[in-house]
Amino acid sequence: MYSLKTALSSLGRNAVMTIASIVTIACCLFLFGVFLLFAFNINYIGEQVSSQCELQAYIDENASPADEERILSEINSIDNVKSVEFESKEQAFENYKTQLGAEYSEYFRDMNGSDILRSSVKITPDDLSRVNEIEQNALLVRGVAKVVNREDIIRKVISATDLIKFGSLIAMLILLITAVFIIQNTIKLSVHAREDEIHIMKFVGATDSFIRRPFMLEGIIVGIIGASIAIIVISFGYTAVVGNVAGFLDIFRLYSFGQLALPVAGGLMLFGIIMGSFGSRTAVRRHLKV
Amino acid sequence: MIEFRSVTVIYDNDIVGLENVSFNIEEGEFVFLVGKTGAGKSSAIKLLTGELKPYAGDVIVNGITVNTLKNRKLPYLRRSVGVVFQDFRLLPNKTVYENVAFAMEVVRAKKKDIRRKVPTILSLVGLSDRAKNYPNELSGGEQQRVCIARALVNSPAIVIADEPTGNLDVETADEIMKLLMDINKMGTTIVMVTHSEKIVNDAHKRVIQLESGVVVRDEKEGGYNLDVLA
Ligand SMILES: Nc1ncnc2c1ncn2[C@@H]1O[C@H](COP(=O)(O)OP(=O)(O)O)[C@@H](O)[C@H]1O
Ligand SMILES: [Mg+2]
Repeated sequence: MYSLKTALSSLGRNAVMTIASIVTIACCLFLFGVFLLFAFNINYIGEQVSSQCELQAYIDENASPADEERILSEINSIDNVKSVEFESKEQAFENYKTQLGAEYSEYFRDMNGSDILRSSVKITPDDLSRVNEIEQNALLVRGVAKVVNREDIIRKVISATDLIKFGSLIAMLILLITAVFIIQNTIKLSVHAREDEIHIMKFVGATDSFIRRPFMLEGIIVGIIGASIAIIVISFGYTAVVGNVAGFLDIFRLYSFGQLALPVAGGLMLFGIIMGSFGSRTAVRRHLKV
Repeated sequence: MIEFRSVTVIYDNDIVGLENVSFNIEEGEFVFLVGKTGAGKSSAIKLLTGELKPYAGDVIVNGITVNTLKNRKLPYLRRSVGVVFQDFRLLPNKTVYENVAFAMEVVRAKKKDIRRKVPTILSLVGLSDRAKNYPNELSGGEQQRVCIARALVNSPAIVIADEPTGNLDVETADEIMKLLMDINKMGTTIVMVTHSEKIVNDAHKRVIQLESGVVVRDEKEGGYNLDVLA
């Protein structure tokens, strides 16, 4: 009770510094939140991509149905292959048409799929890291003309997002240090205003943790308010951004904020509290040495 | 109650504060520490609260060896040693009552105990009718009484006072001395640093005299005269 009263009155006395601390914490945590949301969605997209990550082995045009049968079973027996699925020329053509949509159906009216496309075997691997091995082995099967591996594209996407993650991590780190520094100085003002009190407390035998408590509380309150602001801004911002982006990111699904609210809000709150208490702890330290 | 065993204090700049000082103070004693400026009196006092650590020797207070005490445990030692300051160090934005109650609040005393104990102590130091006043509304003597009340309120076994009458006129100093003697009669051990010849000579109490960090006189019912060595 003593701690809370003291903490609140100190925050009021240094209103300008308090607001400055809250704003920097909020900015820092906002970036952290963006980073978290980004990371969560990248992983989510990654999952979606890797579930589609199959190899496709195209079969010689002049292979007979019996050949196709043999090829399918030979590929299926390759090490690390989880499942195989045969796609005939006709099926491939149908799929292609539906993929392009009704507007193009005119062009295909007189065509026969078997003339332009090849039959193929879709291969789903067990272990994604050994896709290349499967590719080699599939090429050795007689009657396989070519193996297409979509892994490269995924790799590129992931390395690009790694770069973005790294960049935002650095920005966050810089802001984090700034925020702790500003909190520290805010609390130092309160410590300074109460130096006499601290001195008396030391002499009558108050424990360091008791003396520290109001200052810690002050830092934690600043952390909580900053985190709350960041969480509110992020929740509205994210929902708006996802609404806009969803249009051209059709192939992938993104998380809704509701799905991520708990880990993101919890993470930001936790960080806000840690930053606040760390900043104030270091601010009082010198004054406890009497 | 208090024991100095061959205590030596050396400051950062190699200045010797105390050199091989030994003495023993029994429970309930009243002891004056006298000596010229720079003799080491304040150093001796600061050792008792753990504010200063000896370079060599042991300082034992209330059965606790202060110099080996962990910092974490220091607060509990300080609750058994009340400190009276020459410059009072009252909190200006708190009333007399609040200043005294503060000392109990910060060691987490129960509210009920605070409400019972503070008025008792204020009446002991003769300030019952000043409880609601702020320090700047009090005379020097009254402020020192508040400081004494604050030192006493957690019932310490020992009270240490570094020149408690240094800022007071002779008459007021006598009143404060009378108060300290009364407190001593109730069983509290008191160690007091003073430069007042009159106070020491009137009191007929034990006198420990320091000179350049060394004990040069330790006399039961001694006088002040710094040139006459026992
Ligand atoms: N913090 C300090 N740093 C360095 N020297 C000190 C310090 N405090 C006291 N001294 C020196 O130690 C000696 C004893 O000082 P002190 O105990 O304060 O004496 P007294 O209280 O009798 O005047 C003096 O020479 C003084 O200058
Ligand atoms: Mg001194």
